[in-house]
Amino acid sequence: MIEYTWLIPFVPMLCFVLIGIFGQKTPEKGGYIAIAGAAISFALSGIIALEYLTGPDYPNVVVDSICWFHIGDLQLNLGYYVDGLTCMMMLFSSFISTLIFVYSVGYMGDQGGRKKRYYAEVSMFLSGMLGLIVSSNFLEMFIFWEVMGLCSYLLIGFWSFRHPEGDAASSNAASAAKKAFLVTRFGDVCLMGGLFVLLGAFGSLDFVDLFNPVNIQNVNPDTLTLGMLLCFGGVIGKSAQFPLHDWLPDAMAGPTTVSSLIHAATMVKAGVYLVARGFPLFVQNPDVMLFVGLIGGFTAFFTATMALNNMNIKRVLAYSTLSQLGYMILSLGAGGYLFALGMDSGNAALMAAGTAGFVAGCFHMMNHAFFKALLFMCSGSVIHAVGTEDMRLMGGLRKQMPITSITMLLGSLSIAGFPFFSGFWSKDLVIEAAFEAGDHNVLFMVLWVLAIVTAFMTAFYMFRMWFMTFMGEKGKNTLHAAEHGHGESPKSMTAPLCILAVFAVVSGFFIMFGLDGMLSFTELPGGFFQVGGGHSEGFEYFSELFTNPYTYLTIVLALVGIYIAYLMYAKKKINPGRFNREGESVLYKVLTKRWGFPDLYNQLSWKLGYGIARGVDYVDRQVVDGTVNGLSGAVVGGGEAVSRVQTGDVHDYSSVVLLGIAVLAVLFIVIAKIMGGI
Amino acid sequence: MIPFEFFLVLAAILFVIGAYGVMTKSNAIIVLMCIELMLNAANINFVAFGAYNSDVMGQAFVVMSISVAAAEVAVGIAILLNAYKLRKTTELTDAELTSLRW
Repeated sequence: MIEYTWLIPFVPMLCFVLIGIFGQKTPEKGGYIAIAGAAISFALSGIIALEYLTGPDYPNVVVDSICWFHIGDLQLNLGYYVDGLTCMMMLFSSFISTLIFVYSVGYMGDQGGRKKRYYAEVSMFLSGMLGLIVSSNFLEMFIFWEVMGLCSYLLIGFWSFRHPEGDAASSNAASAAKKAFLVTRFGDVCLMGGLFVLLGAFGSLDFVDLFNPVNIQNVNPDTLTLGMLLCFGGVIGKSAQFPLHDWLPDAMAGPTTVSSLIHAATMVKAGVYLVARGFPLFVQNPDVMLFVGLIGGFTAFFTATMALNNMNIKRVLAYSTLSQLGYMILSLGAGGYLFALGMDSGNAALMAAGTAGFVAGCFHMMNHAFFKALLFMCSGSVIHAVGTEDMRLMGGLRKQMPITSITMLLGSLSIAGFPFFSGFWSKDLVIEAAFEAGDHNVLFMVLWVLAIVTAFMTAFYMFRMWFMTFMGEKGKNTLHAAEHGHGESPKSMTAPLCILAVFAVVSGFFIMFGLDGMLSFTELPGGFFQVGGGHSEGFEYFSELFTNPYTYLTIVLALVGIYIAYLMYAKKKINPGRFNREGESVLYKVLTKRWGFPDLYNQLSWKLGYGIARGVDYVDRQVVDGTVNGLSGAVVGGGEAVSRVQTGDVHDYSSVVLLGIAVLAVLFIVIAKIMGGI
Repeated sequence: MIPFEFFLVLAAILFVIGAYGVMTKSNAIIVLMCIELMLNAANINFVAFGAYNSDVMGQAFVVMSISVAAAEVAVGIAILLNAYKLRKTTELTDAELTSLRW
C-alpha cells in the first residue's frame, strides 16, 4: 500500500476539482464530497502508517519518486517520503480535517451557494498540507507550501464579499486576507532563497541526498548556515513567529472553521514541520538552533501577553496558538542545540537529550492540533449561538450549551497543562528540553523562565476566556440567544467536539505507547539522518516527570492561573480593573494595541514600501520612459524639421538632382586630376 | 563613317533639351516626355560606345533600358491620370497636389 502514498494528497485535490465542477448540484454544495475526500485520505494514511510501522522497512525511510524535469545536470523529482514524522503528521492532519469538514456542515449551513467555494477551497487546503507532508524533496514541499498560502488567502477572505456582520467586517476580512498573504509571502521569499542556496550547495533538493551526512560534509558550513537561516525565515512567516506573527490574529476574520483548519491541522503546522523535516540540516550549526530557540521562546512569551486582556474569543485563541507554536519552535531549537553540541563532541547523551527535545516539539504539535481544533470549534459553536465574538456580551452560557461548555473546558484544561491532560505531557517535555539546553547556554535558561511564565499566563487567559463565556452573569447576547431559543448547536457540530475532546484528554498518553520511538531523531549507523526507530521510554515518563521538581512548579503555576481567573471572572471577588486602572494603564493600552505591531507594519509598509515604490516609480517614469520618449521625440522632431525641405515642386527636386550630379562630376574630375590622370 | 564625336554631341544636345524641359515646363506630361528624351540620350551613348568598342553589351543594355523606361512611363501615366481625376489638371504647380507632400 505504501506505493499509493501519493493518493493521500491526490484525493482531496480530486475533490477540489469535483466540487468546483459539480458542487452546485450535489447536496450541501459539495460538503459531503469534501468530507468523503478527507475521510478517504485519513483511511489511506491509517493503512499506510500501519503498514509502514509494522512492515520490514521500519525504521528506514520509504521513498520513491519520478523525474519531473531536468535542467542541465539538475534533476527535479516528485515523490513521497514516508517515515515516523510523516505518519504522525498525515494521520492527525487528515483526521482533524475530516472532523472540521463534518462540523462545517452545521456551521456553514446557512451560507447558501457560497458553500461550494468554501468546500472546494478547504479541500485544496487539505491537499496542500498532505502534499507538503508526504513530499520527497524541498521543491515539491515548496509547491504545496504555496498552495496552502493561496488557500489561506482565499479562505481568510471568504467573507470579503458579503459578511454576515456588514460591510465594515467584509472590508476587514479582505484586508486580513491581504495581510496574511503578504506577510507569509515575505517569509516564503526567504524560504525560496534558502532553497536556492541548498540547491546550489547540494546540487539536489531530494531529502535522501540532503540528509546524508556524507553529502553534508562536502558542503561549506557557512553556506549551509545561510541556507538554513533563510529557510527558517519561511518558518517565521508561515508559523507566525516573532516578528511576523501579526497576521495570525487578523486571520480570525475568516469563518471559525477556517481558523480551526489553519491553526490545528494545516498552515501554521507546516512551518514547524519544516523545521522538524529539515532537522538534519538545522543541527549542523548550534548557533542556528540557538536562533531558532530564541525566536520560539520569545514568541511563546510575547504573544501570550496579548491574550491576557483581549475581549474577542477567537483572538484569545489565536494568541494562544502563537504562544504554543512558540513552544514547539523553542523545543525544536533547544533539542537541536543539544544535538548539535552532541554531534560536535561525539557525546551520545547530549544527542539523546536533543532527540528528546525534537520528540517534545513534534509531540506538542500533535497535542496542540487536537486541543486547538477542539477549542476553535467550541468557540465557533458559541459564536453560532450568540452571534458575537465579544466575550463581554456572552457569559452564563453553561446551562444553554452544556456539550460545548464541557468540551471547551476539557480543551482549556489540556492547553493549560492541567495534570494528565494531553497538553500537560507535551508542555512539560518542552520546558524540560529548554531546561536541559540551559545547562549549556545561559540564554536557554532565560527562555526556560519565559516558558514557565508563559505556562502560567496560558492557564490564566484560557480560563479567563472560559469563565467569561460560560460562567458569571448572563450577557446581553446570551439573553438574546435564550429568547430566540438558540441553544446547543446541531449534532453535526457537537459530534466532532465530543470526538476531539476525547483526543484532547488522552492524546498525551500516546507517548507512553511508542510515539516517542516513532518520532525520535537519529543518525543511523549506515550514515543517514532520519526520524523513527528510536527507543521508546513508555511509562518511564511518569516517573521522569513526577520526580522532577520543576514539573510541580508548572502544575502549581497553572493551578494558580486558573484560580486567579476563577476569582476574577467567575466569583468576581477580584476586580480585574484594579490591575490596569480600569483599562487606563500604559501596559493595558500597549497590549490592546498589540505592542504596536500593526502600526509598525503599517509604518514600515508606508514609509519603506511606499518610499521604495516611489523611487522605483521615479526611475521608471523619468529615467526609463524618459530615455525612450526622448529618443523617439528627437527622431520625430528631426523628421518634422527636415521634412520642410520638401516644397512639392518637381522642378526644385530636379534642380537639386542636377546640381548634385554636376557637383559629383566636378568632384570626380578634380579627384582624378589630383590622383594622377584619367 | 560618321565620326564618333557626332554621336556624343547628339546625345549631349538631346540630354540638355530634356533637362531644360524638366526644369522649366509645368505640365506633367511634357515633363515625362522630357525625361524620355534624357533616357534616350543615354541610350544613344550606350549604342555608340558599344559599337566603338565592338562590345555587344551596349546594345543589350539599351534593350533593357527601353523596357525599364516603358514600365516607368506606364506607372507615371497612371499616377498622372489619377491626379487628373482628382484635380482636373496636370499642372505640377497645382497647390492641392503639392500639398500632398507632408
